[in-house]
Amino acid sequence: MRNRLKVLRAERDWSQADLADRLQVSRQTVNALETGKYDPSLPLAFRIARLFGLPIEAIFEDEA
Amino acid sequence: MACQKMTRAAKRYLARLLPAMTLYVLVLAGADWLFHHHPPSGWLRYALAVAPAIPVIGAIAAMGLYLVEEADEFQRTVMTQAMLLAVGFTLATTTVWGFLETYAGVAHLPGYLVFGIFAAALGPAGPLVRWRYR
Repeated sequence: MRNRLKVLRAERDWSQADLADRLQVSRQTVNALETGKYDPSLPLAFRIARLFGLPIEAIFEDEA
Repeated sequence: MACQKMTRAAKRYLARLLPAMTLYVLVLAGADWLFHHHPPSGWLRYALAVAPAIPVIGAIAAMGLYLVEEADEFQRTVMTQAMLLAVGFTLATTTVWGFLETYAGVAHLPGYLVFGIFAAALGPAGPLVRWRYR
């Protein structure tokens, strides 16, 4: 699933490790999310949305 | 996982797995020595024969506990998929070997080696699954 995580992270000048720390996941997890190869669960998607102060659909793109 | 920062659950997993494997080597060596030099009889024979399996069961439990305790959902997914890949490899190879034993007379594969095949397959399965998410 395509997403704007990388852009949102860059806007805040966070490294993947910074974002990982804030989400309490590993850096590999952030990487897998950013490449769009791994889709987060609903709870993690909500955590990401809360962190960026955006609705989920403003971060993740539904390709269907 | 080796070059990256490990999750807390991964550290706990290793802290359980490594002692279990060390214990396995020690118990196996001890049981083997006893069976060769002072073979026990009666129920002791059964108890000693089963003893090396206990640390192996401990290692299997450590794997299960890792999946329960891992809070990082992506890491949990990677481990789950790696385990399924290793299980598939183990089922496939032991099935093929079983037929080779029955019909082609190849050497018998003792059942206790099945976990070893699984563990050996799990080693490369982890990086392989991880690589697919890069």
